[in-house]
Amino acid sequence: MKEEELKQIFLAEAQDSFEQLNRLFTQLEKNHADREATEAIFRIIHTLKGNAAAMGFEDVASVGHLLEDIFSEIRKGNITLTSMVFNDLFKAIDKLGEMIEGVKVDKKVPYKGMRAKLKVILRNLKGEIEYEHTQGGESSEKKDKEIEATLQKQLEEELTESQKETLASEQPVPIGIPLADEFMDEEEKKSKITFSDFVQVPVSKLDTLLNLVGELAIEKDRIIAQGASVGVTNEYTRLYRITSDLQYSVMGVRLVQVGALFHKFHRIVRDVASIENKKVNLDLQGTEIEIDRNVLQIISDSMIHLVRNAVSHGIEGPEERRKKGKKEQGTIQLRATSDKEYVIIEVNDDGYGIDANKIRKKVVEKNLATPEAIASLSDDDVVKFIFEPGFSSVDNVTSVSGRGVGMDVVKKAVDAVGGKINIKTVLGQGTTFSLSLPSSMAVKSALLFIINNTEYAIPLSFTEAVISVKKSSIHKVGSGLVTSHLDDTITVMFLRDIFDCKDNEELQNPQLLHRSFDQIEDPEAKINIVVVSVDNKMIGFVVDRLLQQKEIIEKPLGKPVENARFISGATILGNGNVCLVLDANDISEFLFKPTFATV
Amino acid sequence: MNVEEPSNASPSKEERIAEALDMAKVTIDDEQEKKSNIIVFRLGEEEYGLRIDQIKEVVITPRITKIPLTPSYVRGVANIRGNILAIIDLEDKFSLNKTINETSGYTLVVESHEFNMAILVKDVPNTLSVADTDIDYTPAVVTEMHGEQDYINGIIKIEDRLIILIDIFKIITKEDLKTVIGSKI
Repeated sequence: MKEEELKQIFLAEAQDSFEQLNRLFTQLEKNHADREATEAIFRIIHTLKGNAAAMGFEDVASVGHLLEDIFSEIRKGNITLTSMVFNDLFKAIDKLGEMIEGVKVDKKVPYKGMRAKLKVILRNLKGEIEYEHTQGGESSEKKDKEIEATLQKQLEEELTESQKETLASEQPVPIGIPLADEFMDEEEKKSKITFSDFVQVPVSKLDTLLNLVGELAIEKDRIIAQGASVGVTNEYTRLYRITSDLQYSVMGVRLVQVGALFHKFHRIVRDVASIENKKVNLDLQGTEIEIDRNVLQIISDSMIHLVRNAVSHGIEGPEERRKKGKKEQGTIQLRATSDKEYVIIEVNDDGYGIDANKIRKKVVEKNLATPEAIASLSDDDVVKFIFEPGFSSVDNVTSVSGRGVGMDVVKKAVDAVGGKINIKTVLGQGTTFSLSLPSSMAVKSALLFIINNTEYAIPLSFTEAVISVKKSSIHKVGSGLVTSHLDDTITVMFLRDIFDCKDNEELQNPQLLHRSFDQIEDPEAKINIVVVSVDNKMIGFVVDRLLQQKEIIEKPLGKPVENARFISGATILGNGNVCLVLDANDISEFLFKPTFATV
Repeated sequence: MNVEEPSNASPSKEERIAEALDMAKVTIDDEQEKKSNIIVFRLGEEEYGLRIDQIKEVVITPRITKIPLTPSYVRGVANIRGNILAIIDLEDKFSLNKTINETSGYTLVVESHEFNMAILVKDVPNTLSVADTDIDYTPAVVTEMHGEQDYINGIIKIEDRLIILIDIFKIITKEDLKTVIGSKI
């Protein structure tokens, strides 16, 4: 399945390359000295050869390799093209196209004759520069014969015994004379135009399409809501079904397999391991899981960071591993699993694990928390400090990792796509980073509520529960508020307090979080709280009124308000109003930053 | 003076604007003399003008959603033809008398790839074809009056009218964005 998909991608690319080559060759035919075309041809053949070799299509790769050599010489100006040689090269390209076609239908195309011919051209052109000069450009019969003679001789020399055997049926190849076997139905083939089964589409076009579908979905909601109010609902079932199908199809088009990213790590792991003199084995699981292309792109750098870290800080050297009774070769596992709307990607190593006490020391050194505060935290909570900006647990900066870009950058990227990152570590046994990412960025479920007569939404991925408590069960602790929920003590804040601020100073007012609370006089008054979980911290947002749960399409706010605080984007509701989407991460950051630390 | 009174407001107004815009565009081609087309609107007690190429369309002000923690001249965001645009109140920005009513006014959508924004105005603006010679670009006037505020492009004097020509992109400069309260850097 996976193999087949790779092959399809290769074919699509190869056919595209082939078409480009054809175009460039026609260009080159008109002007043999066209440098630009030569460069482009060289580049394309080089890529094609590389891809073919990686896929194990030896035939395409070997012909490609020879063509690359020839064009490399042409490029350097070591040989000049003559029309005769050019024709042969053109035929070689046709052959290449035929072979690509052969890969598609699993048919072997005889190519050894062409290969030999190309080898000769290469030799000839290289060796006979002098000769060409004296003879001039025009090809005469005499010249042809002479070349042929040289050719024959060279060919004999060049072919090894084994090659001779394979060529037994094909005989040495004279330039300019078509080989009966290979070129028999050439004319017929030339007139055939092949079309790739793939269409390459720029991502921007997909984005536009998705936006349009998003608007359609909103419009659909509006019309259906309108219909429901006058009692017509059945009429719209088809509209409903078609728009949803359309929406999911468009979202499906944007999905790519995580394997596209995972497979790149073979090389990265190998490189880092060899620099660090470690033995590391990479294990990939769930490469067929699909995820939105943009999500994958945004987190790819973070993944590289995590994997590099795992090799350079996670896995021990072979000596040390042996002493510990582990296998000399460490294992890094990348595993993708899918869970409803989410894709969970885990980066696991079986190395050192993270020592919470070392982290404690570091946190105090870096002044990220007081010694008392850090001592009271559990190991799990302490380990999370590695995601703090300005924290890097490794003392010696190596060329591989620890160049200032820390785990905080990773966390930011995951936050940006609306995902979560978690870490599990057992000292001496290894560490697992688990990234929970939305499989599609477009549609997310959100909870809508009202504050100050304005609608806001918060993605359901953050919400844990919705509770209603009496005023008397909320307590002032320090400058903040807390209440209890399922035996946990959670921080509570009236969103209104921070949203009403006029300027930055007001936002820093230590009494800020008590304002709305103090205005409520009745101790029995019911207070609606949306409990959200950010970085495993629970925060209760007090809202005026809860509305409904809804699928929304979040769009980022554009300039000039792209930096608006506490807001990650906006969505258009069925009634045409704009509804802001809260950035729970930012609010949590604000709440728990030193000025507002509730502890 | 050709400023229409709000009592004249009717559904066909938008159409008339469209016509006016079209006509204004035609005059560019027709006239030999170098002329600029200016969209003229009232802010406070003054008349302000914007070059026609900075404005995409005029719509009846849609419902505005306030964004918390933004400067007061950013009235919020609104949905205009499926785009989410920031709504700017220039009367607030220029500290003029408040004459704009959010629920009955009009909104000029700014033509830009970079910015998604629109400007609130009280009445339907009209277009004016102004000869370049009627625009006083003299920097002395502008700088003396407004100090560092370089968003004023020039002063148009026609008959007894005085129109302040502004550059909308200079009003919302990078510098200005920093005033978004507590904005992330």
